[in-house]
Amino acid sequence: MTDKDVNWEAIFPRDGANWAEPDGRGLSPPDVDLSRVWTGVAAEVWRRRPGPAERLAAWLLRSPGLARALVTTPSLLLGWVIATLVVLAAGAAATLGTGTPYVALFAPALAGAGIAYAYGPGIDPAWELAQSMTVSDRMVLLVRALAVFGLNAAVGLAASAASGSAAAVTFGWLVPMTAVCALALAAATVSRSANVGVAAGISGWAITVLAGQASDGRLTAAITDSSLFLPYLAFAACCGAVAWYATRIPRGAS
Amino acid sequence: MNIELSDLTRRFGRTYAVAGVSMEAGPGVFGLLGPNGAGKTSLLRMMATVLPPTSGQLRLLGRDPGSPGPRREIRRRLGYLPQNLGYYPGFTVAEFVEYFALLKDMPPGRVPRAVAAAVEQVGLGDKAKAKLRTLSGGMLRRAGIAQAIVNDPDLLLLDEPTAGLDPEQRVAFRAILRGLGERATVVVSTHLVEDVGAACSQVALMDAGKVVFDGTPGELIARGEGSGAAGDAPLERGYSAVLAVARSLPATPSAAGTQRGPGTWA
Repeated sequence: MTDKDVNWEAIFPRDGANWAEPDGRGLSPPDVDLSRVWTGVAAEVWRRRPGPAERLAAWLLRSPGLARALVTTPSLLLGWVIATLVVLAAGAAATLGTGTPYVALFAPALAGAGIAYAYGPGIDPAWELAQSMTVSDRMVLLVRALAVFGLNAAVGLAASAASGSAAAVTFGWLVPMTAVCALALAAATVSRSANVGVAAGISGWAITVLAGQASDGRLTAAITDSSLFLPYLAFAACCGAVAWYATRIPRGAS
Repeated sequence: MNIELSDLTRRFGRTYAVAGVSMEAGPGVFGLLGPNGAGKTSLLRMMATVLPPTSGQLRLLGRDPGSPGPRREIRRRLGYLPQNLGYYPGFTVAEFVEYFALLKDMPPGRVPRAVAAAVEQVGLGDKAKAKLRTLSGGMLRRAGIAQAIVNDPDLLLLDEPTAGLDPEQRVAFRAILRGLGERATVVVSTHLVEDVGAACSQVALMDAGKVVFDGTPGELIARGEGSGAAGDAPLERGYSAVLAVARSLPATPSAAGTQRGPGTWA
């Protein structure tokens, strides 16, 4: 931080009596509360400048706290996003090489894991404290889950398009991805463990793909069979309801 | 009154962690003493609106935390330091305190100055830009205290706040507590009876989910005089004497063998 970054006007308001220059010999405040001045200086020096993403989120969500919680989501941190990009890029390359739509097969599992890690317990070290905050943990979870879902959907669609998959495949995995994400979230919230949510999401999707292959003979049956879309959505709705119920503040014994 | 509890219970399975505590408290520093498993942390978590009660009435800052709107208002004016406070290792002290200031819905314009004041108040000014992973246990505890007081709370709940602090820091912390207690209700759960003696105007002693003593530190000391109870300091002897008497009373069977008469702290 340089001297130019500091808002000196905020620290030393010019309309104060202490700022008077009666003899024209420069600034010589006669009676300064140094503790107060130091707090003002420290506030300027220590303050964190939010990045563009956080500023945009704060504007959209109308809550700087929610925006800050959003940008601290483990599965939205740069390392996680890069890992997701690498996996889907590799999937796109493999799809181009083999013709098997690996992007469509990977994307739901990746999104499910990301959604599970949007949930606090087991991941957020200050989870209990976060629960006592004005911005409700349920709202934080909702915003985080939607952001992770949106990011994964966008990246997955781009990778799918880059891999030259047929349109049916490109969009076909979005519906099962919704179901896998809802399953991961429900498992995480019920068990109060993000890791359990990840395990549930990935294993649920693996079982679905393998079951589709066993019944249809094609590995892609789970994403191309349009008759499955309604059951996927119904399942997602049920899991969403479970997650909503699990994150309520309960009354009575536990 | 900032805290009003009436016959508050909290049950985990068949075990009563808090078994019928009644209490009223206005501004001041209140010490909550008791052995491990006495129910102090469960009581504090209920007052922090993190843990809902199984039964009984709970009103904080004149509001019922069972409803979303009042709960939100309570949390805005609440400071809480949990016993096991986790830390984000990649955050600096100032970022950590600022994060919780924002989650407390403080006006964003007020946050930087409030963060600076809180960090200075706990003596971490020279570490404000240090990552939490580089700090000692005592410094981390002070960072936790800073986030609890950043919103200038009307109700401050501190669970073992002096754990890990050295004697000099504890003395400074007690001074902070006394200052806060002039305006706010401060509840301090601790094992360290000397903290209670030095900082608290009122003390409650819990055992097996019940409040078995409530009064001033002087009254607790008086309970130990001539009792022959164990302890190096007068407060410790009072503590031991009260517990010995409480444990010699017959248990009430309705609360898993843990009740020994009504717990009140009024």
